[in-house]
Amino acid sequence: MSLAIELKSITKRFGSFVANEDVNLAVESGKIHAIIGENGAGKTTLMNVLFGLLQPDEGEIWIDGEKKSLPNPAAAIAAGIGMVHQHFKLVPSLTVAENVFLGMEIRKGGLIDHAAQIKKTAELSKQFGLQVDPNERVGLLSVGIEQRIEILKVLARGARIIILDEPTAVLTPQESRELFQTLRGFVAQGMTVIFISHHLEEVMEVSDNVSVLRLGKNVASRPTAELTKSDLVQLMVGRLVSFDRLPRTPTAGKTMLEVEDLWCRDDRQLQALRGVSFGVRAGEIVGIAGVAGNGQTELAEVLSGLRPSSHGAIRLDGRAITGLTARDIRAAGVGHVPGDRLVRGVDRNASIAQNILMGRQDKSPWSKHGIIDRGYLQEQTQTLIKRFDIRAQGPQSTAKSLSGGNIQKIVLAREFTGGGNCLLIDQPTRGVDIGAQEQIHGEIMRQRDAGKAILVISVQLDELIRLADRILVMFGGTIMGEISGDRVDEEEIGMLMAGVIPEPRSNTVGAA
Amino acid sequence: MSDRFDSFFGQALAILFALGLGALVILTVDESPMRVLVTLLNGAFGSPERIAGTLLQTTPILICGIAACISFRAGLFNIGIEGQLFMGGFWATWVGFSFNLPPALHLLLAMAAAVFAGMAWIAIPAFFRARYKTNEVVSTILANYVAILITSYLTINWFKRSGGQSETPPIFESAYLPELFSFSRLNWGLIIGLALALAVHFFFTRTSRGYAISEMGANPKFAEYGGIDIKKQTFLVLIASGAVGGMAGGVEALGVHHRFMEGFAPGFGFDGVIAALLANGNPIGTIFTALFFGALRSGSLLLEVDTTASREIITVIQALIILAVSAQITIRRKASDSTAGERRWKF
Repeated sequence: MSLAIELKSITKRFGSFVANEDVNLAVESGKIHAIIGENGAGKTTLMNVLFGLLQPDEGEIWIDGEKKSLPNPAAAIAAGIGMVHQHFKLVPSLTVAENVFLGMEIRKGGLIDHAAQIKKTAELSKQFGLQVDPNERVGLLSVGIEQRIEILKVLARGARIIILDEPTAVLTPQESRELFQTLRGFVAQGMTVIFISHHLEEVMEVSDNVSVLRLGKNVASRPTAELTKSDLVQLMVGRLVSFDRLPRTPTAGKTMLEVEDLWCRDDRQLQALRGVSFGVRAGEIVGIAGVAGNGQTELAEVLSGLRPSSHGAIRLDGRAITGLTARDIRAAGVGHVPGDRLVRGVDRNASIAQNILMGRQDKSPWSKHGIIDRGYLQEQTQTLIKRFDIRAQGPQSTAKSLSGGNIQKIVLAREFTGGGNCLLIDQPTRGVDIGAQEQIHGEIMRQRDAGKAILVISVQLDELIRLADRILVMFGGTIMGEISGDRVDEEEIGMLMAGVIPEPRSNTVGAA
Repeated sequence: MSDRFDSFFGQALAILFALGLGALVILTVDESPMRVLVTLLNGAFGSPERIAGTLLQTTPILICGIAACISFRAGLFNIGIEGQLFMGGFWATWVGFSFNLPPALHLLLAMAAAVFAGMAWIAIPAFFRARYKTNEVVSTILANYVAILITSYLTINWFKRSGGQSETPPIFESAYLPELFSFSRLNWGLIIGLALALAVHFFFTRTSRGYAISEMGANPKFAEYGGIDIKKQTFLVLIASGAVGGMAGGVEALGVHHRFMEGFAPGFGFDGVIAALLANGNPIGTIFTALFFGALRSGSLLLEVDTTASREIITVIQALIILAVSAQITIRRKASDSTAGERRWKF
């Protein structure tokens, strides 16, 4: 077995943040090697180091048994490495062949030899089974074909080792299957493929070997055949070290939020929710667990009125709220802490006071006869800054001048004081420092004890165990199972997150 | 606060830079930049009559600028103000010469016709922008040409004054917008413009609706999440902007020309857009940028009399200012991080 790539003790830091820590990675030549991990686990950083886009702070890169330094992508390309990025870099008004040879045009007598470029593109396309018409304009083509062109660009530059960064994120299932075919063709011709993903199914289907990154470290590298999907989930999510559940008394009352057979599509018009049903009672926190991208965000968007559902019913305190606008759902008493707080949660250029005002600008006493009561707004903002411990100079500080944790506290301060009886909280502490995490968790518990019905969505399992009375596990747009918050079995959750229904306890779990 | 200072400072620097370039252009025609500047200032502010003349030119630019501010604050770009002005001017004139009514009522009705014409003229682009996200920049610009040609057609083929040039009959005096001084055609339009600037400023800084619309302009996803009906507000904002654009035409027709003719108000709509852009969409700032453009226009009249420079030099200077300011805005936007909520100048 020869190694196409060997990374030795790679460490990459951004300021105080360590994106890759002491990562060792060995990629066999002629194999498809998957790199899997949650968002932010350091996959893309590691690949950018390998492609010469980033310089490692420590460590060595060996390619085909030779130690190399890769100061820039040109050096990586010269060493036979090609990278297909998540976001394509194509010129829509040029033809396929012109795009493939952009920057390295074939010339004849000082002019671009279009005929040769077209011929070469057609040859590559045939050799590797990447069907394209070299004369077509890129602007007219589908995403799947654009990706083929990106791959052809890499091949035209003579790559023998091809890195694909989350190649299936933009593809339909049919296009993904075709891509996998292509990748198998590459290794059959002796090339090496590195495939980055956070989709278990794909990794199981297409890869020979897999490495799992978690929090910047390589936690396992094995032949894929030796692993099951639930093994992978456990490696990705990590062993649950701390079960420090927040103390609580049972307070659950009547069912406030009821969801019945809910379906919806995502931005690519693919099914994101497939018949989700559950209930949240007053004074109860229900957690939604799952690997990112299994319909959790879409669920929060549908419940808050930001995304239409295609089927199913949502009831709040017995009243149907299905299909209402975001405004009406707010008015009915649902607060929403969005997952992408910098995009939806705040206006970064506005002051804290202006951010607090959102959604209540038409309500007395915030405004009277359509005129905002600025005195009241200042006073209330000041009170909320104190109560939620927002570290800022005052109500007029802009949101963007604050840290991530303090921006999240602005969102919580606004949504938790809206007077509703139901809260949707998507990723309560993503990107928030430990101190602020404690405070945010404490505030969520206070809301629970005050009798609100709370749905918490998080990709951090330990956070859900801390907070939730019950945990629902989502996979592929459905709820795979429910686990009581005080009896969490990490193996069971891992199986559910991987889409496997665990065998009943009474049966002996046989080694397959 | 410091952001606002930066933007003001940057804008001022851009204008100075453009004026410097303008000086170079003047040198190429063997004229002294200093003499041109003095002549311009003299032409614009040299006597009470000249000041009144400057304010007369400022008025339509100011009102058009306010129309532009309304759309800019919502993150929308009504570039069709010129067309709305032509439509407003024509229909105000039509009411002015077709009916003979008591003074106040006649003026009010003629002005209402101008406002309504402006709203009607932006209604189609506004509907398509709100419903289908059709780019309003393109549709409103195209509507300009249609408006100018339609009003011209109506004037020549339907309402041409017998014996005269390509113009409508004069309006009755009962529809005149009263003049402010005996020595100038300067009229109540200026007061209307100033009042509008204050009212729009108040609207955006103090009212709930104004807050909602500003947030829609600053970060539409945040506004949508907060329960603001983006489609409805988009439509209403563009209609309001068109209404003010139409009003600018009404003021020109009823206050200055007292009739409608071909080439009724050359470029006031575009100057208004630029004035608003220079003022960063702030209506109070637009008062001053409109005055600046008004002074350039009015000062340039004396320029041809007293110097060898052609008044086209003013057009050159204006173009340089637009270039410098857009460059400045682009640079500033690139310097600040370009994540969410910074699409106010998406041009």
